[in-house]
This record gives sequence, structure tokens and C-alpha cells, in this order.
Amino acid sequence: MKLRLQAIGHAFLGRQVFEKIDLSIDSGQVIALVGPSGCGKTTLLQIAAGLIEPSQGRLHRKYRRHAVVFQEPRLLPWMTARDNIAYGLRSVGVEKELRAKAVERRAAEVGLNARDLDKYPAELSGGMRQRVAVARGLAVDPDIVFFDEPFAAVDVGLKRVLQDLVIEAAARDHFSALFVTHDLAEAVRVAHRLVALSGNGEGFATDRSIDGTPGTRTDREVFDIVETWSRDPAFHELFDGAREHAS
Amino acid sequence: MREVAPGLVFLGWLGRTIWSAWAGAAGLCCLTAAWQAGHEFYGSFILPSPLEALEALAALIREPTFAEAAKETAKRSAAGFVLAVGFGTIAGAIAGYSFAAMRLMRPIITVVLGVPPIAWIVLALVWFGSTGGSAIMTVVVAGLPISFAGGLEGVVTRDRALDAMARSFGASAWMRFRTVTAPHLVSYLFPAWTTTAGTAWKVTVMAELLSNSGGIGGELATARALFDIPRVMALIVAVVACVLATEYLLIHPLRDWLGRWREAGLPWGVKR
Repeated sequence: MKLRLQAIGHAFLGRQVFEKIDLSIDSGQVIALVGPSGCGKTTLLQIAAGLIEPSQGRLHRKYRRHAVVFQEPRLLPWMTARDNIAYGLRSVGVEKELRAKAVERRAAEVGLNARDLDKYPAELSGGMRQRVAVARGLAVDPDIVFFDEPFAAVDVGLKRVLQDLVIEAAARDHFSALFVTHDLAEAVRVAHRLVALSGNGEGFATDRSIDGTPGTRTDREVFDIVETWSRDPAFHELFDGAREHAS
Repeated sequence: MREVAPGLVFLGWLGRTIWSAWAGAAGLCCLTAAWQAGHEFYGSFILPSPLEALEALAALIREPTFAEAAKETAKRSAAGFVLAVGFGTIAGAIAGYSFAAMRLMRPIITVVLGVPPIAWIVLALVWFGSTGGSAIMTVVVAGLPISFAGGLEGVVTRDRALDAMARSFGASAWMRFRTVTAPHLVSYLFPAWTTTAGTAWKVTVMAELLSNSGGIGGELATARALFDIPRVMALIVAVVACVLATEYLLIHPLRDWLGRWREAGLPWGVKR
């Protein structure tokens, strides 16, 4: 077990978002966290990543380093892609030569050209920026990675490529991950296990493992799982909620 | 391609800067033409011609006392600039981070802004007498609020999402300041610094003139007493040249160097 959330609850200005959340993430396990919009997925991720203090509950961390990949790339505009990837390493005081090596390796892994490494974020396309953000996360050799809807803003084709990249990296580096998404198909593609946060603040609506391992599921299998689950009452909030808002 | 770049990039930048000086020179020529027209209308006593002023300037530069006076003024305005910018920026940044400090300091700055610089000169004369101290103090008082405002705005508008990113990687407060806040802050500080650099020269000359404490201001007082108008014009041209030199030789190159990343985002053809 890498991380355990125990009876976590959080309130913003007195408004309870959720309470009594228990979740443990095992070593090498990728957990997808889904839920209707506004249910506190990102808040829960930020608590798990230590970016905000929960109002209630405790966190048990059993790892050295984590990394967060945000919805927006959040690159420093005044640093080149190379320096952005090295940022996490620099903040933990890794030497310059080692940093340079790690950057080259991670950049190649996420499919960035060596030529693009000396460009500033403004000179890169949206997809390349998100690749840089993923490389920056992977560069610190994290034991656990927190993904906060990282590919929500990229187009469908690129989304697949980036998902495959994460699946591949997770299998190779054996990191654990908490992957927040609102897309059930994405959750089924990348994760071992799926938890759905309910919209009314009453903890998880469901917690189930996904058949097969990420990367080996065919598109057909992913599609079938999503089809079956979309009729499942446990997910009705995820689908009906959207319809209620639309009407 | 980018590996060989540093030298070429510098040459390219230098070339562009010098080339853009043409536009500036054209503007200055228009001003000189107007000056000449004024001279022809009012005559040499009221407004000496640009040529007379330049001749007076050439004579002035050859005088050893002028070099002394200019050095004195430069020292005073530099000291005033450094103190104003240093204290103003630090106080502004602190106010940006702490609401309590901001609430306390804002009214003070408003009061300081409200007092006319001429009143500060009178006070400084009482406190420091006819020394450089009064000029320096006046520059500090005149320049500090601008840097304060720049520092405050820069820190307040820092990108909190980037700050959260840096925290998620365990970056220390100092590293976050250096890598996230400071580069953003700089874009707010440069306008303030440019203004302060100009003000520093002008206020120093004014304080020197009124406190009779030597420097270019002292020279100006003497020239006025002697009704040597071409010399007055020459001194004015010398001060303006100093202001321009500070801005274009010191501040602009520094700003361009720190803002390289900004230029990278511009499409080809829009650059400069």
C-alpha cells in the first residue's frame, strides 16, 4: 500500500463537499476516480497530493516522491521545455548532469524531439505542452502520480496517444496512480480499478476492479464495459446528471 | 541550429536595437526642427538655436569642472535610484504576500505620494543641509511609491496555479519565489524602474539647484545667474542625454534579456 486516505472530509467555507472517504492505493495500482462534475474529484486529488489540507480525516503516506499532472500543462512560460521537465528534479536538488540525462530520457519517452527541448512553451502546440507536463511528472521517478483530468482539453486522437503513454509508463516504472477523469471510457482504458464519487457527498457510489490489465484491453472490450456500466444504477449520476443539466 | 545561436542571437538583437533607433532619431529631429523654429521666432536670448546649444555643450564637455559636476549628479541619482527601487520593490513584494502589511503600507504610500516633491526638498534641506544627502532623499521619496506599486501588483497577480504546481514538486518557498513569482514580477517592475531612473536624474538636478549643492543643478544655477542661456540649454541637453543613456544602455537591454521568453511566443514578423 502506497497511500491511504482515512475518513477524509472537506468543506469549503462551511459547505461540505464530501465526508468519510476511505481509499487506499496499492503499489503499482492505477485507480481511476470518476464522478459527476462538482462532486469534489479534484479536491480529493489535491488532498491526496498534499496541496490542500483536509478538514477531517488522516492521510498515511508510504512513498518517497509523488508528481502531479494537472488539467492544464502549467508550464513556466519563462523556461524552455528542457528546464520545465527538469523543474521537479531541480526542486529536490538533483545535480545538473543527472538532470540533463533524465530530461533527455523522459523527453524521448513522451515523444518529444530533442529539437523542441530548447523551445519555450509558447512555441509548442497544446499536445506537446501536455507531453512536457507528463515528462516533468515522470522525471522525478515518482512512486505515485496524481493525474487531474490531464487530457480533457486535447483532441480525441491525441488523447489516445497520451493515454497509451501513461499506460506504458505505469507498466514500465511501476508507479501507482490516481487518475481523475469524467470520461468513463478513459477510466476503463487506463486503470486497474475504478471508484466513482457520488454527487451528494456520501462517499463512493461504487468501487470495482476493471477486468484485464491496462494496455491489453481491446477497444471492443473497453466499449462493452462502458456500455454495460452506463446502464448500471451505480453510474446513473454520471450519465443522468449530465442529462438533467442539459435539459 | 539553436546550438550555435548565442553569439548570433546577440548580434541579431543588437542589429534590431540599432535599427529601431532610426525611428527614435526621426522623432528627435522633428523636435529639433521645432526648437529651431522657436529660436527663429524669439531670437537667441530667449531660445538659443540647437547649434548654439550644441556648441555650448561641446565647450562644456571640455571643462574639467563639468565632468566633476556630472559625476556628482550621476552618483547621487544612482544612489537615490538604488535605494528607491530596492526599498520600494521589497516593501511592495512584502505587501503583496501579506494582507496585513498591505493594509498598513498602502495609506503610508498614499501620504508619501500626496506630499509634493518640492516640500520634501525643503525638509531635506533642513535635515541634510547643502549636501548630496538632500538630493538622494528627494529621489528616494519621489521614486519609492512607483516601485512599491509595481512590486505589490506583481506579487498579487502571480499565477497561483503555477505556484501550486511548484508546491506539488516540493519546491521551497525561495525556489518558488525565484522561478514562479520573480519572472512575473519583473514585467511589473520594469515600467516602474524606467520611470524611477528618469525621475532620479530630474529630481537630483532640481534638488541640487535648490539646495545649491553642486552637481549639474549647481552649474544650472550659476548659468541662470549669469543669464548664459546657451549654457542652460546645453546643460538641459546633457541631462536629457544622461536620462536616455540610462534607459537605452542599461534598462532596455536588461529588460530584453530577461524577457527573451516573451518574444519567443510572437509569430514571425510581429517581432519588434
